[in-house]
Amino acid sequence: MAHISAGIGTSHVPAIGMAMDLNKTEEDYWKPLFAGYQWTREWISAPENKPDVVILVYNDHATAFDMNLIPTFAIGCAETFQPADEGWGPRKVPVVENHPDLAWHIAQSCILDDFDMTIVNKMDVDHGLTVPLSLMFGKPNAWPVKVVPIAVNVVTYPPPSGNRCYKLGEAIARAVASFPEDIKVQVWGTGGMSHQLQGPRAGLINAAWDQKFLEDLTADPERLRTIPHIEYLRETGSEGIEMVMWLIMRGALRANSTALHKHYHVPASNTAVGHIVISNSTG
Amino acid sequence: MTVDIHAYLAELEDIPGTRVYTTKRARQGYWLNQFAMSLMKAESRQAWLADEATYLEDWPMSDDQKQAVLDRDYNRLLDLGGNIYYLAKVFSTDGQSFVQAVSTMTGMPLEDYQKMMLAGGRSPIGMRSIKGGY
Repeated sequence: MAHISAGIGTSHVPAIGMAMDLNKTEEDYWKPLFAGYQWTREWISAPENKPDVVILVYNDHATAFDMNLIPTFAIGCAETFQPADEGWGPRKVPVVENHPDLAWHIAQSCILDDFDMTIVNKMDVDHGLTVPLSLMFGKPNAWPVKVVPIAVNVVTYPPPSGNRCYKLGEAIARAVASFPEDIKVQVWGTGGMSHQLQGPRAGLINAAWDQKFLEDLTADPERLRTIPHIEYLRETGSEGIEMVMWLIMRGALRANSTALHKHYHVPASNTAVGHIVISNSTG
Repeated sequence: MTVDIHAYLAELEDIPGTRVYTTKRARQGYWLNQFAMSLMKAESRQAWLADEATYLEDWPMSDDQKQAVLDRDYNRLLDLGGNIYYLAKVFSTDGQSFVQAVSTMTGMPLEDYQKMMLAGGRSPIGMRSIKGGY
């Protein structure tokens, strides 16, 4: 049977992808940010840790979905997904290969588990999905894992509640546990941490709040699932709401899971960058 | 858990210097955002850059929205239903980064905004609630 071995949380700032694509990672501005991912790169490349499949939770930034179609939870089921042209040409990163059997299995399992997923086939993937892959795997010719994309609406209000996201994570864990292939799966939650990209309040960062969130992903996840939208907005900026997607990752792991690695850095462009690796408890 | 939608929406309007992208704004800004989305294609970007006013003629946007786009007045565009991820297609076509475009909404020169970010960003103190002032 398939099993979830670990969860990863990370920001997905587009400028991080550009810094990698333009070979700027050794510059003073970027060096400390990338240094915090070095541990994870080594850890994830070890055979005992490397997943076969990553269920990658992210949000589409007006790329594959426009105002015409706004799915709250969408799951990509196609064979492959192309890196999107977000207005400055597509990133020169590998095509994203799905594990379509697992994706369709999660879709049907979650729907029967009361989560009405939107099934998507043709879908280009933007920085929300490709930047986390670049952060963990660098610049390979092909991504070393299959990726099941799960896109969450956090742009048009209301996004799903943190608790709803957590419960979706639990449903995804049940779906993975009933998939007959013997594969190792990770769940990644991406976006955040505090940032605001609009209006006179833009540039807001709340390091204390972010770091408590990182800590409570293992110390007190029950607190995190009850945080209302207004708290994310007031405390972490209008785009900090992306952190609800980390709760899908957390919900997919067992209660007593433990953190292996944490990293926090300000700034990347307008954004506070957070990162965590959580080993899934075995029982 | 049942949410009082009116109390929920009222709270979203209580944040200083912030326009939360609610359904009301999504309706108001539908064509504005779809226009911005059209700039995802290289040939559309060329047509837009060649003659902005003519390009806008095909879009059923309000005169205010069209003028604010021509003026690149992003705070005004937020007020008229624009969403930042859609408006990003406009400033990306101008060759602006997120930092450059976002700084224009803060009333700060770009250099000062960048210094603020390097120093840890804008503090949330006093910026959480209009009514509460905290």
